Amino acid sequence: MNSFDVSLLLSGQYHDWLVSGFALSIKLALITLVFALPLALLVAVLRLAPLAMLRAVGVVFVEAIRNVPLLAHMLFWYFGAPEVLPEALKLWLYERNFEAASAVIALVLYTAAYMSEDIRSGIRSIPKEQMEASRALGFSFLGAMRLVILPQALRLTVPPLISQTLSLWKNTSIAMVIGVAELMYQAQQVESASFRGFESFAFATGAYLMISLAITGASAWYHHHHPVRSA
Amino acid sequence: MMLKRLMLLMAGALTLAPLSPAHADQLQDIKKKGELACGVLGTDEPFSFIQDPASRALVGYDVDLCNAVAKSLGVKLTLKQLAVSARIPELQQGRVDLLAASLTHNKEREALIDFSLSTFITGQKVLVKKQSGITRLDQLAGKKVLTVKGSTMEQNTKKAVPTAVIVSFDNSPQAFLALQQGKGVAYVNDETSLIDDFSKLGPVAKDYEILPHNLSTEHLAMGLKKGEPAFREQVNKVLRDLEASGEAEKLFTRWFGPTTKMKFPSRPFKIETDKVD
Repeated sequence: MNSFDVSLLLSGQYHDWLVSGFALSIKLALITLVFALPLALLVAVLRLAPLAMLRAVGVVFVEAIRNVPLLAHMLFWYFGAPEVLPEALKLWLYERNFEAASAVIALVLYTAAYMSEDIRSGIRSIPKEQMEASRALGFSFLGAMRLVILPQALRLTVPPLISQTLSLWKNTSIAMVIGVAELMYQAQQVESASFRGFESFAFATGAYLMISLAITGASAWYHHHHPVRSA
Repeated sequence: MMLKRLMLLMAGALTLAPLSPAHADQLQDIKKKGELACGVLGTDEPFSFIQDPASRALVGYDVDLCNAVAKSLGVKLTLKQLAVSARIPELQQGRVDLLAASLTHNKEREALIDFSLSTFITGQKVLVKKQSGITRLDQLAGKKVLTVKGSTMEQNTKKAVPTAVIVSFDNSPQAFLALQQGKGVAYVNDETSLIDDFSKLGPVAKDYEILPHNLSTEHLAMGLKKGEPAFREQVNKVLRDLEASGEAEKLFTRWFGPTTKMKFPSRPFKIETDKVD
């Protein structure tokens, strides 16, 4: 076997490819997180809403998304969904970076479905008497949620949400199937151009591991500084 | 007198040294084993593929070349089906003796393995929709160009049109679907794959066009383990003999000629060089 060539990873064209892929992976994860968190919160509240219609919307969203693999979501949002759009809009979209956009859509929906379940569990862990007491004091459902329930529930939800962020970070790698030049995509490109698969995947592994450990570290830090209070 | 003898001896030793390698030679090993293990893709019509699902036998241009080498050595041929990315490692680890797997010969790969004479020379070309109005490569500037991952296509497209935005997919059907849906203006692949895709289009083929310009010239060759000059010379001799006897021409016509779906009117190359540009 050939020896491990570190210089390939430190400078030159292949280094640039890998670093640009790493940067794009981080960007994908951050943009997804920014959109997925509010959406997850909305879905969680929907699932606990007093109206059966709204609850049904929440259930359908979560179950339809969680029971389909992320790979299928990616391919659907890239190859399938846009085909129903009007021709002019389609062309406008395709001229832009539609690959990354559809990857973000798929990741946001997928991540939000999981996160909303964690948030819902958090909300349900707050004794239901608090909601009843708030309503009795004249708060609306949304008012009670915003001022009484959610501030307590979200605190409990942080550790599982960090764990979902870890999954999100690893899931960005699936975007390569629709031509998004993220880290795994670039690692494969370097391998096929140079046959230096060992080096390029070592880089990718190291990069994923580094960010994953940082996220795990954040979780441990939070747990230490904000231990769960008993209600 | 003494000195002269000594010098003669040393000169003799120096000239003989490269001919007597310390370890056993692969060519001898293959003959001793009575078996040549040849790595093919098996999914790459018409280079190597399964024609008859009942027999599951691998056939194709690459398979015929393997056969010719095995026959010249008087040994049995064993075909091993390999994934694209497994080709080089399988060869380096000695699980196959020879690669005939649509392998592009390039300078970077020369650091890892040796190559035979070029057995197939093809160009990478561009498929566009006629309505896009694109007839020249420079019109691709700033536009999205679709291709397949794990190939030399990306780099060659970048070289030909530096400002093109390249989007690569896992396999050629996906890249081709993206072109059909208008997710890019052009689809780059080697000519044989493009013709294969073209033939699958059916009646809508009239809306598509393969531009005549070559993005690059691809030299496909057989891959051999590094540092086996005797085996490599044997393989090259077989290839040269195929060319000299006209057998190479017949093989090309059989798999790529006018009566096949590849429909190449004539053979645009000869097996005579291992030069790579």
